[in-house]
Amino acid sequence: MTTLSHAPASSRPVPNPQKSLITKLNMGTGMVLGIIFCWGTYYGMKAGRDMTDSHNVNKVLLMSMFAWSVGFLIGIGAFIGPFRWLIGKDLTDEEQLYLAGDGQGISRYFKYCTDHKVVGIQYLVGVMALLGVGGTMAMMIRTNLATPGSHFVTPVVYNSLVGLHGITMIIAMIIVATGPFGNYIMPIMIGAADMAFPRLNALSWWVLFTAVPVLCSAWFLGGIPTGWTAYAPLSDQAGPGMNAFVATIIIFAFSTAIAGMNITTTVVAMRAKGMKWNRVPIFVIGATISVALAIPAFPTFMVAMIQTAMDRTIATSFYDANLGGSGWLYANLFWIMGHPEVYVILIPGVAALMEIAPVFVRKPLFSYNAAIAGFAGIAGLSILVWAHHMYMAGWMPSLNGPFMVTTEFISVPTGLLFLVLIGTMWRGRPWMKLPMLSVYAFIWDFLIGGITGIYLSDVPADNYLHGSMYVTAHFHYTLMGAALTGAIGGLAYWFPKMTGRMLNERGGYISFWFVQIGFNVLFLGMFIAGATGQPRRVADYAHLFAHANLISTMGAYSVGLGMIILLWAIIHSWRSGKIAPMNPWGAKTLEWTVPYPVPLVNFDTPPVVTSDPYGYGRSAK
Amino acid sequence: MSDHDQEVLPPTPGARVGKFLGRSDVRQTFILGLLYTIVFVVLGRWIYPHWMPRVLSKQMQANEDIMIWFTVISAPIAGVVLAIATKSFMNMHRGDTPPEEGIAIRTNTPVVIVWTATSVLFCIVAIVWGLVALNTESIAAATDAPKSIVVDVTGSQWAWSFYYPAQNIHTHTLNLPVNQPVTFNVTSDDVNHSFWPVQLGVKIDANRLVTTVAHADPTATGPLDVKCAELCGLYHAYMETDGAIQTPADFSSWVSSIQATGGVQE
Amino acid sequence: MAHDTEFHVHHDSPEAVGRRERLGVRLLIVADGAFLFGMIFSWFYLRNLNTNQAWLPKGVHSFSTASGWVAAAGLIVAGIAHRIGEYNKAVRNATALIALVALLVGGYYQWHQMAHMPFVAQDADGRPFFNGAYASNWVLVAGANMFHYLIGAFVALGLVLRGYRTKLDPTLEEWRQRTAGSWFTWIAVSGILCALATSFK
Repeated sequence: MTTLSHAPASSRPVPNPQKSLITKLNMGTGMVLGIIFCWGTYYGMKAGRDMTDSHNVNKVLLMSMFAWSVGFLIGIGAFIGPFRWLIGKDLTDEEQLYLAGDGQGISRYFKYCTDHKVVGIQYLVGVMALLGVGGTMAMMIRTNLATPGSHFVTPVVYNSLVGLHGITMIIAMIIVATGPFGNYIMPIMIGAADMAFPRLNALSWWVLFTAVPVLCSAWFLGGIPTGWTAYAPLSDQAGPGMNAFVATIIIFAFSTAIAGMNITTTVVAMRAKGMKWNRVPIFVIGATISVALAIPAFPTFMVAMIQTAMDRTIATSFYDANLGGSGWLYANLFWIMGHPEVYVILIPGVAALMEIAPVFVRKPLFSYNAAIAGFAGIAGLSILVWAHHMYMAGWMPSLNGPFMVTTEFISVPTGLLFLVLIGTMWRGRPWMKLPMLSVYAFIWDFLIGGITGIYLSDVPADNYLHGSMYVTAHFHYTLMGAALTGAIGGLAYWFPKMTGRMLNERGGYISFWFVQIGFNVLFLGMFIAGATGQPRRVADYAHLFAHANLISTMGAYSVGLGMIILLWAIIHSWRSGKIAPMNPWGAKTLEWTVPYPVPLVNFDTPPVVTSDPYGYGRSAK
Repeated sequence: MSDHDQEVLPPTPGARVGKFLGRSDVRQTFILGLLYTIVFVVLGRWIYPHWMPRVLSKQMQANEDIMIWFTVISAPIAGVVLAIATKSFMNMHRGDTPPEEGIAIRTNTPVVIVWTATSVLFCIVAIVWGLVALNTESIAAATDAPKSIVVDVTGSQWAWSFYYPAQNIHTHTLNLPVNQPVTFNVTSDDVNHSFWPVQLGVKIDANRLVTTVAHADPTATGPLDVKCAELCGLYHAYMETDGAIQTPADFSSWVSSIQATGGVQE
Repeated sequence: MAHDTEFHVHHDSPEAVGRRERLGVRLLIVADGAFLFGMIFSWFYLRNLNTNQAWLPKGVHSFSTASGWVAAAGLIVAGIAHRIGEYNKAVRNATALIALVALLVGGYYQWHQMAHMPFVAQDADGRPFFNGAYASNWVLVAGANMFHYLIGAFVALGLVLRGYRTKLDPTLEEWRQRTAGSWFTWIAVSGILCALATSFK
């Protein structure tokens, strides 16, 4: 690695790879080509096909969606690199520097930019947009459920809201920590100049980007009736909107595979000199375990979605019992992905909080090894527990016992995560800043989410609770209460490094309390509704459940208000917040040793690491 | 935290534990933990059951017991976690500069071991409890099978229908005699549904061209709600019916009244 | 300008880049392996469940066991050819060409099979459907093979073309041979596993 010259980026000439195609391409050319591909495919395939046959409709729609994605990627220049490799004329240094966005200001955010910091910001904005859309749908769901017999939306719209809220939030939550922080912060944290595969890094973001309009198109195609789990054979029966769901998942699966492989390789192969495995910051460990778990877990969902697509387009019968198919096949494939996925979401959020706690308590992370054992134990066990979602499916009752055993054992590594956090807090004097508040919120929320999980993992209790609002409340406590809280804590913590400004504290505090109090009111109400016997995913319910649901809706509005305040705080601080010093929290990880804006290759001289970053505190003796 | 500065470890483990327990922060944490534990025990033992529906079967009783006792058992663990977090929260430092450095506790092996052992123990209790309940249930299902009343349940978008083979009646409400085991053979005409007679505390999915089986032992009379617990399309929310657990005499007259109208409930 | 660029592009050693690329490809192979697992799981799950006795309904034709192995042959030949070239630089251009041809021929055979499937029936409205779960699974497995043929052919073509370029970093190219070797070996293994699965009718 050579060093960066000391001239500020703005005064250097913009690299100018002469007449290279890459200088002409950007998001605009991508959109144009994507739309041309999409329309061309749509009208080309429609001609001469019997469009009264739903299989043909599905075929045309699905192919048009994929054509959009491929067209966009060609248009933005994603395939120039592979093509140049193919013909043996690799990209020149100048071209690579251009792709890294050197000296191109704001326009690089709209190009196929390989700088991990640009990709991190792209992910951050993308995640916020997805959370906004998913959150709006949540507000609509809760408004409809405020009173029994409500007609705020029709059952068709309600079912679509439930499904699209679910999948939007799941996608957002999978990338909420590893997207922005895994891309922007993590390479700096380990002392690397960039990600291992910068072009693939850009690819993972832009592939994900193409999935968003596809997902949104579900609304214009009649919505989806299946919830985010898209159980078959309901998904076989569903209307054209289902194609949008299927295409989104297949596109998204490519994005996560590429991103997961890239992050894992970066951490394994590009750590700074001296950064042995026992000196790696815990967030990096958590994020890596999370994405490494996603690599083998997510493809089974892709298999399930391809099978759904085949059933819907070429009349195969994977899920049609008449012709030898089975919905149980779908449920198995889905949950073999689905349960690890929960931990793919959870682990980076917890790891971010573990990174935060020592800095604000000014004590070392308590038992670094226990933290790693906790993450690794959870990741390892998570691939052996999928069928606890299917206790009541009747697919193989004799396996309920074994799956109950594996599932309940997950509480042991999960307990270690609590131990690490409370051990770090023990006898400490925490600096009560926004990031630290999230640690406390996490402990409360995840304790409730974790303990209610134990009832659900117990087969006899699940007999009653399965498919009820109790389940919905439980997983919101884990995914939102734990993972999203962790990600928001991470945002407050790394905001100064990513934007050069401090996050507005007053706005952050007000938002925090609105969100956390509202969240607990919302889902404690939902626990009551579930325990009383309200099934989940219902557009309407009996008067018996009225009070619990009204309480939930009030809580939801409080969360909504809090999130709007947070959004305001973020935008306001980003534009005109207090300028952040280089290391506002006095932390010891490497990202706080670089200035803002972070130089293109991050470090003037490659850092050398001599200890782990948790050397806080004085000796007790 | 100036009281930690001059801390010197006592010579024997017993004295160390004694000194530890004598510390004011430890006492405060302990009291907080006790308070949290009491709150959770009250919640689990007395408030939870109040929210849950009337118990009409052994199965419902078993799962209510689990809900209650798992809450009670986990209360002290939750209490410890929340007490330490609360104590730390109350000790907060505010302002724009970091607080003074804390104590450099890297780890504490006995604590990690005790913590892990406790959670393993808790896990084993939960697992054994669950396995015993599961086993009791399947033994009951097997031994009760000959004396069971059989109900064939069919889910279709978006209604439940019932056929009682021995009585040869088709119904859309689910009435059952008390104190007689019941076996549900469940299937679906179309997509997946999930058969949920709420107060009986059992549930099983309905799949097309497949029969799944659930078993219940009604122990008390009372009204029964039947719902669908698996999203099955447009009117999933309205796929519900009712019924009752009745005295044998009431049940017989209900059956005869349907047989009188040709075996099909109106 | 040129001087400025020199300062801004960081060059890691070809060894480091090569190792990194190989690890990345192996991780992608793990993902592809999970996909293969899902497919084989589907095959045997539906075969053993045999819902409605319709895994292979009476009177429906299946492919012969041998044809499944022939479909995988291109992948296996390419894998072996590439390995030979990897260890023997002298014949590398020739083996790269053999691998490419094997993949193209094998891909064509797989496509031909897919164009002549014996188990596609027609419903009352004359619309085609796949008669039974065997048929459905077979076409998925064939599709996965086809995907491997296409990606494999792309890589093989790249290696053939790059074999004639002289301006490339020899150390890095050596690593890329090994990286491509991981991929070729994997698609051969995957082809064998698919052929094994399709042998169970």
